[in-house]
Amino acid sequence: LLSCSKEYIELDPLGQPLVDNYYSNESEAYSGLVATYDIMGKQSKSFENMITMMNAGSDDFFAGGGGPSDGIGIQSFSNYSIDASTIPGSFWNDYFQGVFRTNILLQKLPDVPMDEALRTRFTAEAKALRAYYYFELVRLFRNVPLFTEPILTSEIYNIEQADPEAVYAQIETDLTEALPDLPSRITDLENEAGRLTQGSVQALLGKVYLYEDKNQMAAQQFAEVNGTPGGTSKYGYKLVDNFADLFSLDNEFNSESILEVAATSLANVNYDIWGGGQNEGNTVNQMVGPRGYSRTAGSSAPDYAGGWSFNTVTQGLYDVLNGDPRFDATIADLKALEAAGEATYTPGNKDTGYFLKKFMPLNSEKSTGGGNVELNYRQNVYIIRLADTYLMEAEALGASGARAQALLDAVRARVGLAPVPVSMDNIMLERRRELAGEGHRWFDLVRTDRAASVLADRGFTASKNEILPIPLNELENTLIVQNPNY
Amino acid sequence: TVLDANAMPLPGATILVKGTNEGTQTDFDGNFTVEATAQDILMVSYIGFKSVEIPVGQQTSIQITLEEDSAALDEVVVVGYGTQKKSVVTGAISSIKASELESLPVTRIEQSLQGRTSGITIAANSGQPGSSSTIRVRGITSFGNNEPLWVVDGVIVDAGGIGYLNQSDIESIEVLKDAASQAIYGARAAAGVILVTTKKGKMGKLTVSYNGYTGLSGPARKLDLLNATEYATLFNEKYANDYNGSPQDFSLPFPNAQSLGEGTDWQDVIFNNSAKKENHEFSLSGGNEVSTFYLSFGYLDQEGIVAKEISKYKRQNIRLNSTHHINDIITVGETIGYSNEKSTGIGNTNSEFGGPLSSSINLDPTTPLIITDPAVANSGLYTNPGVVRDPNGNPYGISNLVIQEMANPLAYIQTRLGNYNWADNFVGNVYVNLELLEGLNLRSTLGGKLAYYGSESFTPVSFLNTSSVVSQNNISRSTNRGFGWNIENTLSYTKQLGDHDFTILLGQGSYSENDTKGETVTYNDIPVNSREDAAFIQVPDDQIIASAYIGTEHRVTSLFSRLTYNYKEKYLVTGIVRRDGSSRFGSNNKYGFFPSFSLGWNPLKEDFWKENDVVNQFKLRGGYGVVGSDAIGDFRYLSTIGAGRNYTFGNVSAVVIGNSPNAPANPDLKWEETRQSNIGFDARFFNNLTMTVDFYNKKTVGILQDVRLPGYVGATGSPSANVADMVNKGFDIELGYSKTFGELNVSLNGNLSYLQNEVVYLGNGIDFLSGGAGFQSSTYPITRTALGQPYNSFFGFQTRGIFQNQQEIDSYVNSEGVVIQPNAVPGDFRYEDVDDNGSITSDDRKFLGSSIPKYTFGLTLNLDYKNFDLLVFSQGAAGNKIFQGLRRLDISNANYQTEALNRWTGEGTSNTFPRLSNVDSNNNFTNPSDFYLEKGDYLRIKTVQLGYSLKREVIEDIGLTRLRVYLTGENLFTFTKYTGFDPEIGGGIFGIDRGFYPQARTGLVGLNIQF
Repeated sequence: LLSCSKEYIELDPLGQPLVDNYYSNESEAYSGLVATYDIMGKQSKSFENMITMMNAGSDDFFAGGGGPSDGIGIQSFSNYSIDASTIPGSFWNDYFQGVFRTNILLQKLPDVPMDEALRTRFTAEAKALRAYYYFELVRLFRNVPLFTEPILTSEIYNIEQADPEAVYAQIETDLTEALPDLPSRITDLENEAGRLTQGSVQALLGKVYLYEDKNQMAAQQFAEVNGTPGGTSKYGYKLVDNFADLFSLDNEFNSESILEVAATSLANVNYDIWGGGQNEGNTVNQMVGPRGYSRTAGSSAPDYAGGWSFNTVTQGLYDVLNGDPRFDATIADLKALEAAGEATYTPGNKDTGYFLKKFMPLNSEKSTGGGNVELNYRQNVYIIRLADTYLMEAEALGASGARAQALLDAVRARVGLAPVPVSMDNIMLERRRELAGEGHRWFDLVRTDRAASVLADRGFTASKNEILPIPLNELENTLIVQNPNY
Repeated sequence: TVLDANAMPLPGATILVKGTNEGTQTDFDGNFTVEATAQDILMVSYIGFKSVEIPVGQQTSIQITLEEDSAALDEVVVVGYGTQKKSVVTGAISSIKASELESLPVTRIEQSLQGRTSGITIAANSGQPGSSSTIRVRGITSFGNNEPLWVVDGVIVDAGGIGYLNQSDIESIEVLKDAASQAIYGARAAAGVILVTTKKGKMGKLTVSYNGYTGLSGPARKLDLLNATEYATLFNEKYANDYNGSPQDFSLPFPNAQSLGEGTDWQDVIFNNSAKKENHEFSLSGGNEVSTFYLSFGYLDQEGIVAKEISKYKRQNIRLNSTHHINDIITVGETIGYSNEKSTGIGNTNSEFGGPLSSSINLDPTTPLIITDPAVANSGLYTNPGVVRDPNGNPYGISNLVIQEMANPLAYIQTRLGNYNWADNFVGNVYVNLELLEGLNLRSTLGGKLAYYGSESFTPVSFLNTSSVVSQNNISRSTNRGFGWNIENTLSYTKQLGDHDFTILLGQGSYSENDTKGETVTYNDIPVNSREDAAFIQVPDDQIIASAYIGTEHRVTSLFSRLTYNYKEKYLVTGIVRRDGSSRFGSNNKYGFFPSFSLGWNPLKEDFWKENDVVNQFKLRGGYGVVGSDAIGDFRYLSTIGAGRNYTFGNVSAVVIGNSPNAPANPDLKWEETRQSNIGFDARFFNNLTMTVDFYNKKTVGILQDVRLPGYVGATGSPSANVADMVNKGFDIELGYSKTFGELNVSLNGNLSYLQNEVVYLGNGIDFLSGGAGFQSSTYPITRTALGQPYNSFFGFQTRGIFQNQQEIDSYVNSEGVVIQPNAVPGDFRYEDVDDNGSITSDDRKFLGSSIPKYTFGLTLNLDYKNFDLLVFSQGAAGNKIFQGLRRLDISNANYQTEALNRWTGEGTSNTFPRLSNVDSNNNFTNPSDFYLEKGDYLRIKTVQLGYSLKREVIEDIGLTRLRVYLTGENLFTFTKYTGFDPEIGGGIFGIDRGFYPQARTGLVGLNIQF
């Protein structure tokens, strides 16, 4: 008889709170904040990550991989055959997920009974993250819809793209509003390292201005981040003495780190959750490792773990770094190791014998927990570091003047190189060497209008390939318009 | 004594004294005793025989011989909450009786429906022993769940769970095809209802039966793949085609292709030509006036034809059905079945991502199976820890050319030995029937299914290739429990008032399913590395990974009623009303209301229709009804928060749990409705030709599906909605013919179904749904659901031959003279420029055919001659396309089928198979196009069985009533033009071949004994 009553078919979802009742206390608000940070992992934590993708589109790296059709998205970006069907949708979708999560959090935060100071900080972090995600969207796709609150179900199919200027304006607003409400630096490194600070947001704001050609405003922001070239800035930033230490796993969240994405070997990632919210391992490591790497008996070669041979280094980057003190920390020369009889590997697609050493997987770093070993590397990656903001400030200063010269000199002096006269060409060359393989090069080429000439032999088409095509799914049954010439 | 035409006793025949309530049934030997006067008339009836009336007169002992009623129309049909004489049924119901199923070598009962009933499409999901089949009743009803509702002895059992049934326990299977008959199961009947009735005991002597068979299976067909020489030749050619370095540096990768010979035939490595199959079924039944019982035991053991070490299935089951007439009023009964299953699977089936089948298709034939050269065996890749070796210590060959998930199958098998899945199922029901007055029955049924299932596995350290490396071992166990139950109470009243015959049924039911929970524990890095020693040995805490879950219960509550009425069995009416409430909908739409009615007319009973020898029976039927479906995820009407949107904070890199909203809720979610009209007739002509024809039009409205939102919404996951309307229309024909020629009995039964599927509405202004079935790493979905097209039609580029020379490329222009494929080279596909815009883009895709078979058919021939019997059963499907996706496109060096030998190599060489290239700048291979689509038509000789029964006189002496031996051949021939293993491909979408585990060809010898 119990079955006759209406209550019988009224069930409560177990373990799944309702949106309407959630965000009712500080810890729920915090979990909502964590979910907004989750998308930062796009930098390194999936097959479709920013670092290997953007590297592959530049003149420094090929897509590589097992064959010319291994990872059609990264391959087609690398040879500029990319179109609406081959662009991995996640580069669009993931950042929009970040936007949605910040929007829902910003909508809920005012009503959460919680500590006021924390509410202010969470709000600032959410705004800054929304700005960061929109910055990635607008510089990748340029023509994107703009949302500052969760989209109504009834409106889903009536959305049009916003003017890119409006998107940039919102990014500036969010970053500017967030800035004063953030801690100037993280003191509780054990629990909070990686969260946004005034320094990271100011660096980001400077970068945004630079992309908008608002050089003077950019330089102002960078000046506060950078402080005296070579010294310690007001946020505590200082160049790390030894360049190679930047990529040492024992030296994470160092004084040069401004915005850093942490990874861990403890998340037990397997292929089912790879690329999803529970993926906390660094995938770049596995991707860039040489295939079937093995050391010969008695070899003194580094104990790399085998990988999938993505992002093979071009001869061009090799030549630019050849003789540079940063070569050894940047490029793993398997060609030389093999010639010396120290190690063997299986050449993959677009094999050059040179691999990206900054993220080389190491046997000593293989995870010992659950999940798949290859998906649980723990190396952190930088989104912004001080050498980058030094060079961006020098650029924003018009690549001239004493401060610009001092900034460039400081970057070179750290690796023991003599000064060269500051100029746009020298700054760009320095960026190429200093930041090689960290995902900046393609944006730098496009931003400075160098891409069409530098990438011509890759098939780069001017007035088209400066931005990515919008994924097919977005165009179906929507008002979204494809980017020009795709 | 009551006998049949062969003078065999008929146990259980009913004898009634006309005009009284006096009556009895015959015992096992056909004997009966009844008190009657000389003036009385005895009415003797038995299912399947013509009833007779015998004046008693002065006889004290009467021998009555009943004639078999060849008209199937007088059979009794199970209709849900009761039975009906087939002659008064007004719905479209197909039924199969035990006699048609006996000794068929099917391992799961749904396979017995294939080709034997009209209106049903069945395709195996895999040839893996024990795997289920995809069943569609009158087409694809919905986009989501299309599994028919299985009701076993009144207990609703989920489709995956019917494997516990024994073939010979089945008394009958009924398929309710039209809404008028389905509506009594309203809420979950939309995709059809399959009613299974298991055998009950009969009064009289104990009967013991045995049916068993044993035999061997092998693959019916192998693919023609390139051998090593052919592979190397094509490899060289591909290399040369793609080469863009300086000519003086050019050298062939395989300078001496001819020396490679045949190389490794990977199919030979995995296929098993002597896979064992054996099945034994015992039953014991009997009873007296008070109690009857049926007890059975079954044992099935089967090896797969692929990688038999890791492809096995074993099932043991027990069933006890009993009925107890406590007094004139109370009857209590129960059916209970238990099964224990153990299965071992090859890992990946019907998946292009690895597993032995996919590996055997894609691996290059130049890699040796086993490395015997010590110099090679101790260098390079073979020095990695975990390289798998044969019993002689030689490593299994590892390909350098084909990597990713493709591993040497023998090595792969070694890493999975001993892993298995298991299940214990208890399914049963108990009922009490109170016959309060004559014809008035109150019945309460409590049914339930309790399932325990899980898996055990040990994964050793292994190195299969550079992409498949396990560097620490683990042992894992998962244990799950699922429970579902239902209670139903029905009150029925049957009354005959003069020529008016009616039955009223009122019922109430409540149902619960998916009350599940389970956990998985994995110990990593246990200090052993052999399967024999593997155990849950204590390891440090951080090496123990555990997870647990709890399922969401799904509840339905229902009220239903049915009125059946007939006037002199001439005019027939059935009306059903059912109301269901589901836990899956919000408060506004919780309840669904499902009415139906149907009418029938037997014109032969009219006075104006004279009895004749042409039309012996004819009944016209028609009906209309609405049924529903709530087959969507739970709580989709609520906005819920999901976990697992985590991030890593801190310099100790701790994972912090993040939560955020799931997909947007849809509070307006409501029942999906299927409205179906059906018109048909049952007829018998010339005494021995029966015919049933049904025409139907089925429209599903408000189809429930998860919606793929645009990415800019930012949702994690997909919401659900009532997205579409779809129509299925067609006809079902069943024909039967039986005739005796002297001592030869011939019976021929055939059926043919035609089906047309069309999506008719997708929301205002929407022409197609985003998404579709993906294929490998293809960037385009290969199917699309669009207005005016069949559901999930194949969608892609249309090739128009191959450019034979540059001049053809230059002259291939659109209407404005723009060269459409300027970058093509001779040997590339010419694609149709559908939108005439002068270039090939995503807008040039079009519909390329449907995966849904238009026709399905079956034909069964039975011959009986003296002691021999012969059965030939064939079935097939036609009018569909198959996407032949066996080769991995993202593995450039994957092997080819021999069709590749006919590739384009120069002008005039081929107009269908393009030039070979890894770079493939024209996307000849990566574009989904009609190149991959093949006709799926097939006709299969499914079963041939020849039996011999020993004469009754001979075996009676040794106490037997039946002794029959038989030989069975299964899947002997398949007529098809399809180039994959097997054209019968099940799954959510029919007809996408990703490396399908083919069905076995089997030879069996069997034995039936009864005493």
